[in-house]
Amino acid sequence: MAALAAALPAPVHASVRDADDDDEVPLQLAPKRVIPPYGQRRAWKPTAPEDFGDGGAYPECHVAQYPIDMGRKKTASGNTLALQVDAEGNVRYDAIAQQGHGKNRIIQSQFKDLVPLHKRTDISDDQRDMERPSEDEVQATADRTRAALEKLTNAKIKAAQPKNVPDSRGNSTFIRYTPGQQGDGGSLKQRIIKMTDVIEDPLEPPRFKHKKIPRGPPSPPPPVLRSPPRKATAQEQKEWMIPPCISNWKNNKGFTIPLDKRLAADGRGLQDVHINDNFAKFSEALFIADRHAREEVRQRALMQQKIAQKEKATKEENLRMLAQRAREERAGIAPSAPARPTAAEGKANMAGALGGYGSGSDDSGSEAADSAEDDDAVKVREEMRQEKRREREREMRMSNMGTEQRAKMLARQQNRDISEKIALGLAKPTMSKESMLDARLFNQESLQSSFGDEENYNLYDRPLFHGSSAAAAIYKARGAQGNEDGFGGGTEEGISRALDNDRFGLGVAKHRFEGAADQEVREGPVQFEKDTGDVFGVDEFLNEAKRGTKRGLDERDGGAARKKQQLDRASERDE
Amino acid sequence: MSVDASLPALDGLLRASGKRTRAVFEASLNDRYGEDDIIARTRLAVKIRDEYAEAKDLPAALQAQQGGVGPARPKQPERKLITGPVADATSRAIATIAPPTERRESTLTSSSTLSKALALHKTQRVTQPTYHPQWKLTRVISGHLGWVRSVAVEPGNQWFATGAGDRVIKIWDLASGELKLSLTGHISSVRGLAVSPRHPYLFSCAEDKMVKCWDLEQNKVIRHYHGHLSGVYALALHPTLDVLVTAGRDSSARVWDMRTRAQIHVLSGHTATVADVKCQDSDPQVITGSMDSTVRLWDLAAGKTMVTLTHHKKSVRALAIHPTEYSFASGSAGGNNIKKWKCPEGTFVFNFSGHNAIVNTMSVNAEGVLFSGGDNGSLWFWDYDTGTAFQNMSDIPQPGSLEAEAGVFCSTFDMTGTRLITGCADKTIKVYAEQAK
Repeated sequence: MAALAAALPAPVHASVRDADDDDEVPLQLAPKRVIPPYGQRRAWKPTAPEDFGDGGAYPECHVAQYPIDMGRKKTASGNTLALQVDAEGNVRYDAIAQQGHGKNRIIQSQFKDLVPLHKRTDISDDQRDMERPSEDEVQATADRTRAALEKLTNAKIKAAQPKNVPDSRGNSTFIRYTPGQQGDGGSLKQRIIKMTDVIEDPLEPPRFKHKKIPRGPPSPPPPVLRSPPRKATAQEQKEWMIPPCISNWKNNKGFTIPLDKRLAADGRGLQDVHINDNFAKFSEALFIADRHAREEVRQRALMQQKIAQKEKATKEENLRMLAQRAREERAGIAPSAPARPTAAEGKANMAGALGGYGSGSDDSGSEAADSAEDDDAVKVREEMRQEKRREREREMRMSNMGTEQRAKMLARQQNRDISEKIALGLAKPTMSKESMLDARLFNQESLQSSFGDEENYNLYDRPLFHGSSAAAAIYKARGAQGNEDGFGGGTEEGISRALDNDRFGLGVAKHRFEGAADQEVREGPVQFEKDTGDVFGVDEFLNEAKRGTKRGLDERDGGAARKKQQLDRASERDE
Repeated sequence: MSVDASLPALDGLLRASGKRTRAVFEASLNDRYGEDDIIARTRLAVKIRDEYAEAKDLPAALQAQQGGVGPARPKQPERKLITGPVADATSRAIATIAPPTERRESTLTSSSTLSKALALHKTQRVTQPTYHPQWKLTRVISGHLGWVRSVAVEPGNQWFATGAGDRVIKIWDLASGELKLSLTGHISSVRGLAVSPRHPYLFSCAEDKMVKCWDLEQNKVIRHYHGHLSGVYALALHPTLDVLVTAGRDSSARVWDMRTRAQIHVLSGHTATVADVKCQDSDPQVITGSMDSTVRLWDLAAGKTMVTLTHHKKSVRALAIHPTEYSFASGSAGGNNIKKWKCPEGTFVFNFSGHNAIVNTMSVNAEGVLFSGGDNGSLWFWDYDTGTAFQNMSDIPQPGSLEAEAGVFCSTFDMTGTRLITGCADKTIKVYAEQAK
């Protein structure tokens, strides 16, 4: 039979089963549980409730037994899932992803969901085409959705509208009430009770606080069908590195920033400087002109210096001559002509030099006549000798002098003392003292004097522009007379023009204020004086307070008198 | 040279000697070769049998799975995995009207194993990309004082609206690019715009948590949709229902009834900012992409998630639904960052690989051109059916702006699909157009 079946081809159509075909009993019957008889229950474990029949536990079986599920822990409702298998017997591991979701929820959890559609084998070709649904289907979807949404919307709108508006009349119901205990002698057998709703204020704030209901557990997360994110490589991290912002003003964290980095950060070197050509030319020209001017100034200064030197030399010469002459005069030699002194001296010197040797070249024939001349010559010689000696002494003194004295001496020779210069007329005192001082230093309001103590209330303790000429500059007294600008410069047409301009007749006051004429013409700005008088009587009040007199005290007499009067009046009335 | 010329030609000699050799050894050669051949064949057969006997047939499971893949296949006309968009409009209309395919059962319930999924990679169905003309920058409109973050084209294709970081919504003439109107009212940058095809309304959402409805007949705000807890980043209108979906930084998408301003649903489930939201008329009616790098498809009627797609590695900032194909694309940052999904159940279709940037925006037109604009100003144009890029270029920031201001924030095709309007980080609106063939 089996061989025949193998030889025959497989049936094309599945055989149709008749409805009344009773002989085919269901093949898949659960195997009936067989309870082994007593004494053979060694390796048998009663687990299912059927194993116990109607009875209790089997004491000879040493396993935990739960007849009619007595004592079994109810763990069935735990969060463990029953293992499910698909049609081919493969375990459906994605059942857990489906758990907790509705039936029509599609969960993509398998590898095939990652495979592109045209590479998938489990999908037929008609499932691959992406045809939009027909209009009828779209219409059906729209209708279905509209119905669902309208239901929601209506509920929402109704909820938003005010409901439970309290009836102002108050719905009242009448209840007949018969007390159960008829204790007190039947005075009241029955009562009619009217029940009315308490009218609520619709604008009353809610009496009970709404508590927020904590959100339910979220729906289980979908299986993730992507690879986990890769760790950023060092390169990537470097690319994403954003340097911290560093302020030029604050450095709370105390970072140390090198100066060059700082300079780079502030963008100073980013723009290259472009200088106009003309600027270079201009600066070159300026430089040349400057050099030229300096050269000229130097030349001029040199020239002046030379002239001055020459002048000085001549003056010195002159002075020396004068001094010579004066010396000679003192020595008794008649002042010779200014042109000859050198010649006379030379002659005298000559004569002296010769005389020293007792020359015999003198004319003997003119001896008598020469005696007078000899005397003179002797005198001269004597003079010269003395002079020589003085000079030698001076030289010796100078050679014996200490260094500092010699230095002083030299200094004196080179640079004469100021008194000497004054005596010689070389140094002159400066012309005026004022010119030496800076004019800007005068008339300055010093800050210290004008700002007094904080507590002093003397903002205007001195007039503005005090003692300066500024007041005169800023204020021009505009009197009626002598103001030429005010009246068109005095000319006829000027005045007429001014009158034309002066539409409101404000230029000249026709009628002055009374007593204004008596006032003297102001020369400066209006100045105010500090009013020292006690306007509000504060000083007086303070003085009183210091004296310690009470206000009512000085009126004491008056008060007493008034009292007396009143008393008198009262007594009169009594009478 | 002269020596060479004197020598006889070698060819003739060789041929002659070859002929002679064959003549001499003809008989014996034949025999020996024949023997060798037989021996070699037997040896090979033995070896094959010895080594590959086990691997000769596919395992039973695989064979059952594979079915008639082997010899029977060439007889069938090759069926493409993805058919390109039909060229002319009439046939397309027929296609959309045609009776729908029956609803497929989800991939999860279908029995499959890893080995099966892996087994048949060879049988790839390759489709040729369709030709698309190149796109070229045709107009740069500057007028905004901030980043242009949102753009929307009117259904009549007469004008388009842009919203920018200067908190102003501007309306421009599409043909001439002239400013028609500026709408003020938002107090933070305008992130989403939509013009309703069935009402004279413009909807806008901004980072100031406000969603506004503007009446374009009076140019006034007539409604506010109040409820977002933080900035609103995206907005979408339902094509058939009077429902508005907004999504934002409070990691939720909210469904509003347009007229009554009531909040119908809070689509919560994302764990980070929802960066983009899109609506379509059939399930899934709402699709959201989030900064938690997931895309969720929502059942609008129930307000529940249908599918969560966790394939993206980085935050999903852009979504684009194809106007005629039942699929959508989502874009994030990094490599392999644009993915195409088949619609009702969110089956992964393929990657658009190559755009290595943060994809800020994507748009698809009916011709099957997918545009993706990056945060670094890279613009890629893809063939939507095959996922091949046919053009890429980079955004040129307008003169006077920084190099870093090349970036595309928003984009949309106009209603004809021949012009692409992008909003850029250099505060301009750039219009690209298809080049004539």
